[in-house]
Amino acid sequence: MLFRILKNSFLKRPKAVLLIFLSVTMGAAVATAFLGIAGEVSHKMALELRSYGANILLEPSVAEGGFLREEDLPKIKTVFWKYNITGFTPYLFGIAEFSAGDKRERGIVSGTWFAKQLDVPGEGVSTQGIKGIAPWWDVKGRWPEDADEAIVGAALARRLNVAPGGEITSVVRGRSQVFKVVGVVTTGSYEEEQLFAPLVTVQSLLQQQGNVSRVLVSALTVPMDAFGKKDPATMSKDEYEKWYCTAYVTSVAKNVEEVMAGSRAKPIWQIASAEGALLKKLNSVMLLLTVLALGASATAVSTSLMASMAERSPEIALMKAVGADRFQISAIFVGETLIISLAGGVVGYVLGDQLAEIISRTVFNSTIASPLWLFPTALISAFVVAIAGSVAPLRRALLVEPVRVLKG
Amino acid sequence: MSDLSSHVPILQLTDVRKQYGNEGITTEVLHGIGLTMQPGEFTALIGPSGSGKSTLLNIIGLLESPTSGSLLMQGRETGTMSEAELTQLRGKNIGFVFQFHHLIPAFTALENVMLPLMLAEGRPTPGQRERAVWLLTRVGLADRVDFKPGRLSGGQQQRVAIARALAVNPPLILADEPTGNLDTGAADEIFKLLHEINQESGTTFLIVTHDPRLAQRCSRVVELVDGRLVA
Repeated sequence: MLFRILKNSFLKRPKAVLLIFLSVTMGAAVATAFLGIAGEVSHKMALELRSYGANILLEPSVAEGGFLREEDLPKIKTVFWKYNITGFTPYLFGIAEFSAGDKRERGIVSGTWFAKQLDVPGEGVSTQGIKGIAPWWDVKGRWPEDADEAIVGAALARRLNVAPGGEITSVVRGRSQVFKVVGVVTTGSYEEEQLFAPLVTVQSLLQQQGNVSRVLVSALTVPMDAFGKKDPATMSKDEYEKWYCTAYVTSVAKNVEEVMAGSRAKPIWQIASAEGALLKKLNSVMLLLTVLALGASATAVSTSLMASMAERSPEIALMKAVGADRFQISAIFVGETLIISLAGGVVGYVLGDQLAEIISRTVFNSTIASPLWLFPTALISAFVVAIAGSVAPLRRALLVEPVRVLKG
Repeated sequence: MSDLSSHVPILQLTDVRKQYGNEGITTEVLHGIGLTMQPGEFTALIGPSGSGKSTLLNIIGLLESPTSGSLLMQGRETGTMSEAELTQLRGKNIGFVFQFHHLIPAFTALENVMLPLMLAEGRPTPGQRERAVWLLTRVGLADRVDFKPGRLSGGQQQRVAIARALAVNPPLILADEPTGNLDTGAADEIFKLLHEINQESGTTFLIVTHDPRLAQRCSRVVELVDGRLVA
């Protein structure tokens, strides 16, 4: 009987059914697209945010002395969170006397990797260095390729009156090295006061073969929450495991510290905090937009159902008069709505998936993989929209006065 | 299918009042109605438009509660019943016939008659089908059981509606202008059918009508004017 009544309802009011179907489909499509993108957006934004600088600093722990070992650096690519490490670069600093022509300056000579090919057994080849973790560096000229080439910070270059093609002599404790200037770098920060050369050359100049002063690491992390901010030393075993297995900047830093002998890893909080706050806000915005879209769909469903209920008052009144109780009347109308929402959820998922793909290509120039949980989520959001939109019309239906309506 | 005794009045209204309130203004549409109906009565309820007939029918049909007063349905006080109890009482003990038949267009005549039975039992059964066929035969539509309302005349549609009202064998039938939409000939036939059913089965009828000819054919006439019974 219920099936016959539902079939009659669909065939008799195709426009009303179509309106409700479209409202539910839109809600499900938007929810699918936004939720599908939200996860990817977080990931893509996190990758984009890596271009704003490293978020972990490794430096020697006070107890161990002044340097870290260069030979430990490949181990960074073997840690638990290795796939979250997007890049790292070592630095070795020294105070040098610079001279170029008749100009003399005292400043910092920094040895580093620019784009070093690192072959870690079992992990493959990767490129590490400043070029990867500091993409905002603006080099006029080119990056160093040979051991005796260097780039000079813009402020230092102005004072020494050097440009690409020139030469700078660096003297450290009586040892001297002539660098060919191949580029002038503008960073907007203190790096413009330094000269950057290949690590191996600066190690030789400073007589610190195999040593580095610090390492900057860029890692994909999740926003810090109250749990992430807890001191690991005070955690229980389970809590520690949960913290260690969550990509907080603190747990990734801990990971890296464990493989660099004598090191202490510290999150660079101005980067990590800003990133975390931005990603949280982004997720909140996506969630809010999803809720608003679902709310709008539910409102549209409610409006369509109200009109439908008004039209079906005689049918409702008759059902009441011949003995249908509230449950039976509700079952008919909720049944209709659920069937429509099921269809709307499926179609909405397909459309939403396509929409997510379009947005991802347009904004991030990449594709996204639709997570499996998105399909049931689309169906659930369709049901929620349908049920929420049914509440007010159903209440009105249950208040229909049979005798007045059926009097004619 | 009625579960109530036939030795007490079918209906007993005592000082029934009905008020409606809107924005602080209260309007009383029924003023102290007292009405008793015995089993087997064939009663006409007449009165001008706006006198409160629909409201009284709603209350007697357990579709609306009085603001005050009491309504006994075969000795059972309905004022203290829950909505679920009232729905069950109505479904088993009261049949409705309206001016417009209000048959479900997608259902055949047989299925329309079976509807109250299916609602009462939650699903269709062979026994329901047999009873529906018997009722349609009784109202003269044995050869129309599989016809949808669209293929029936006005009088035939109203006969199906009468059969539907009788489906659960209720002790009380409330008919609100059952002939109002029919020509004189068809109206006479319908009224005759109702009377015959009353005589055969002892079913109590309360019929709202504007037609004085039909009212005179009832064993009792009560008149409602401005919310009060005057006769």
